[in-house]
Amino acid sequence: MRVLVVYCHPVPQSYCAAIRDTAVEVLKGRGWDVRLLDLYAENFDPVMSCEERRSYNDRAPDDAALQPHFELLKWAQAILFIYPTWWYGLPAMLKGWFDRVWATDIAFQLPAGKGRIKSLMRHVTKVGVVTTCGAPTWWSVVVGQPGRKTILRGMRALCATRCKTFFLAHYLMDSSTPKSRAAFLAKVRARLERF
Amino acid sequence: MKILVLYAHPVETSFNAGLHRTIVERLEVAGHTVDDCDLYAEDFDPRLTRREKLDYHIQRSSADPAAPYIERLLKAEALVLSFPVWNYGYPAILKGFFDRVFLPGVSFKLVNGKVQPTLHNISKLAAVTTYGGSRFRAMLMGDPPRRIVKRMLRATIKPGAPISYLAHYSMNLSTDQTRNAFVAKVAASMDQF
Repeated sequence: MRVLVVYCHPVPQSYCAAIRDTAVEVLKGRGWDVRLLDLYAENFDPVMSCEERRSYNDRAPDDAALQPHFELLKWAQAILFIYPTWWYGLPAMLKGWFDRVWATDIAFQLPAGKGRIKSLMRHVTKVGVVTTCGAPTWWSVVVGQPGRKTILRGMRALCATRCKTFFLAHYLMDSSTPKSRAAFLAKVRARLERF
Repeated sequence: MKILVLYAHPVETSFNAGLHRTIVERLEVAGHTVDDCDLYAEDFDPRLTRREKLDYHIQRSSADPAAPYIERLLKAEALVLSFPVWNYGYPAILKGFFDRVFLPGVSFKLVNGKVQPTLHNISKLAAVTTYGGSRFRAMLMGDPPRRIVKRMLRATIKPGAPISYLAHYSMNLSTDQTRNAFVAKVAASMDQF
């Protein structure tokens, strides 16, 4: 299995980095071909420019910086996202990665008039999300878990019809303990063993 | 009222740019003081940095890059968001405004690890937006931007503050007629803001 790990956190010593290391270790241990995309380390620019927006419906962007990202999307059979939930959603960095990289002629094609979007991402058969969240579970559910839905409903709709998904979140991060964090890492490990 | 308008669209000739102009014009005609924050024009960087994350719980000084935005947010008495929905969410440049400016001591405080909202200077909120797809499709996806405005922001600003969410769905199939009707609706809503 070829798996793309998309990691997004500004602090190299963060707990999310520990999740990333665990994930990469487990997936490699299973003999998977793992590629890691560290958006902050790459200094990815998440802001879609005027020119890019103008041609959004017509063609893929020609920004050279995006080409390696397009290659990764075409390459991946599984995608694992690791990020902190900020304001119930994706960090702007990761949101912008979707906006710019999941582009026309790369991730989908628009119909000429009425009709369905044509997906170009059907080769992705597994999508997983591991995140940390300051808010409690119940309130995240009330707000509608925007981050989870953006990825596991919105973007997943472009992936394989029977695409398998999972979502793991460590809630109440601000009152987390070494014990709760270790337990969550063990959970991530167990889940990825059968991803 | 002092109204902060947060606008996020890169193209000057877009439908959203027109909506933005309508919003600002109508609010000013109605006698409001508008702080028009065009995130693209101001070249706002939406990426929360390593330093900002490490200092997240520390009171910011006036030298902080986010400080001018914090000041503008805290001076406002009302907030109007003007943006397109991309991939079931805000454009990154607007999402980053929340990440970098809605900080502890600004929009909330942490008490025993629990969030208490504090952005009570905002006593009115409106969002004006467009979706490429249909409302049905947005609902299937959980319509994250609508929920964020109606639930998260509702809980953050002054309790009981009126909130309106004006959306033109199915932009990809829109006509002059649907667009004009929407502009009229937005104009009417701003006249009475």
